[in-house]
Amino acid sequence: MIGVALKMLMGDRVKYFGLIFGIGFSTLLMSQQTSVFLGLLTWGANPVLDVREAAVWVMDPRVPQADTGQPIPDQALYRIRSIDGVQWAVPYFRGTTTLKSADGAFASITLVGVDNQSLIGLPPVNRAEAAAAIRGRNAVVIDENTQSLLYPDGRDPLGQVAEINDNRVFIAGKTRALATFSGLPIAYMKYTDAISITPPERNKLSFVLVSPRPGVSAEALADRIEAQTGLRALTREQFARAGVDYIIENTGIPLSFGLSISLGVVVAIVITALTLAMFIAENLKNFGALKAIGVTNNQILTMVMSQAWLVGLVGYGLGIGATALLLVLGRSVPSLSGLYLLWQVVAGTALIVFSIVTVSAFVSVRRVLKMDPAIVFRG
Amino acid sequence: MGEAPTIAARARQIVMEFPSGDARIRVLHDIDLDLEYGRLTFLVGPSGCGKTTVLSILSGTLSPTGGVVEVMGERLGEMSDADLVKFRRRNIGFIFQSYNLIATLSACENAAIPLIADGASMDEATEKAAAVLEQLGLKDHLMKYPRQLSGGQQQRVAIARALVHEPALIVCDEPTAALDAAAGSAAMELLEKAGKNPKRAVLVVTHDDRIYRFADRIVRMEDGRIVGEGAPSDQERIP
Repeated sequence: MIGVALKMLMGDRVKYFGLIFGIGFSTLLMSQQTSVFLGLLTWGANPVLDVREAAVWVMDPRVPQADTGQPIPDQALYRIRSIDGVQWAVPYFRGTTTLKSADGAFASITLVGVDNQSLIGLPPVNRAEAAAAIRGRNAVVIDENTQSLLYPDGRDPLGQVAEINDNRVFIAGKTRALATFSGLPIAYMKYTDAISITPPERNKLSFVLVSPRPGVSAEALADRIEAQTGLRALTREQFARAGVDYIIENTGIPLSFGLSISLGVVVAIVITALTLAMFIAENLKNFGALKAIGVTNNQILTMVMSQAWLVGLVGYGLGIGATALLLVLGRSVPSLSGLYLLWQVVAGTALIVFSIVTVSAFVSVRRVLKMDPAIVFRG
Repeated sequence: MGEAPTIAARARQIVMEFPSGDARIRVLHDIDLDLEYGRLTFLVGPSGCGKTTVLSILSGTLSPTGGVVEVMGERLGEMSDADLVKFRRRNIGFIFQSYNLIATLSACENAAIPLIADGASMDEATEKAAAVLEQLGLKDHLMKYPRQLSGGQQQRVAIARALVHEPALIVCDEPTAALDAAAGSAAMELLEKAGKNPKRAVLVVTHDDRIYRFADRIVRMEDGRIVGEGAPSDQERIP
């Protein structure tokens, strides 16, 4: 009877396509908004995740996340280096400034200063080229986002002269940084260059990046640094998590996306439940006739469930496909990079969609299952 | 060898009551009715007299409040719900007043439903349904949808659906109510032919007196009681 059920469904094209559109749209809404939300949360962690070598980040105790800096004294670096269990400790500058191209284009950027010798802090993508390029005096390595803002005509920025705080710099290399929550493009310089061209202030050391000696855990070392310096020391994972928590606790993003995702669920429930209920109601006499003829309740349940699951499958497939397409297309926009369709989102959306169609179908068909087949003889 | 049974369906002392508020309304009073193989029995009477309720009970789609119903020697009241559904599927053919064809299935697929419900494959069922539809003169309309067929043709598809699984009992509820005289006669000729089968009984509920001539026996009901019966030629003597 499944073949009969599917023909019944597909023959009613308005409801068939209505159901598919409704489920597809709500799948798109749920999965796309969840992906963007998770992507935005990840952006909060990305400044930390992009520095793979550092197991511990040390900072001013008031710093909540990587893009909200509060410099610490330079002596902190030497104190940390002297702590037992430290393999190495390097300075890391992270601040906001303006980069101007020679032809007057400018962009607010996050300027990162990495240790002059080790270059720890450069992103892993294209690292060898970036490392070679950054060693020159006032050399800047820019990410794709900076390039597209300063040189929108597509011209190769390498070798171009630019300006930061009235200091002449030159674009020496290109890299690809993970997108961050601030949304600002990122440029990299040597630490000493970065602090020399930014406005003077007493302290400029944003973070100290630390690696433990073999056999020392990052957690234990972080505790030891905190105890001995009074500074805040977090493991890479803890600080990345702090970036995510900062977004959750200090922005309206969870509420906003939560509403969008809930809207997707509501749209799915309303469209699926109402359309299925309408479909059943319009076919009530036919279902009555089928029951009189000898179609069992189990067969009717199977028929309605197969109808619901077919539209669920097609609608979900189209919706999740549209989400994947949008995210892939978004990758060509540097500021939208780092948004992924995680398998957990794919599976979670499938679970919600199929729960909704199953429950909606079951609620709708209950009327048929309880129906007296003799109804078909009544006027 | 014993004689072949002559009674396809038998109802004895059928009582039917429906709740109405705190009270119960009795709509059938001690109905006794036999349907014989090879005969068309018409159940006639004014609207609301209980004809359709009798048909529903005899076809096993409604359980009576009291009394015994036997179809092909099997007591319907003693069957489980599942057995009753299976029994209906295999032994009873239904023809409804408004045909109840599924709009999105072709004539052939509609006629094949009882076989598909009983587990036959779509191909096997539609092949058999096509053969029955051809016998009923719908050879050129097998793949048409109900909306592409006239009322008479739709009723013939419904008749094919009732015949396709070769049931012992066919029940028809006002089969000509939605048809003009010519189409009604044509449909009744087909039912008459189907009813002449010695292994089949046909019960027709109707108040269309234009088709009484097709009946082998007419049973008249009034106010939930059988008030008379006889051959069509005896109509004057049936109250």
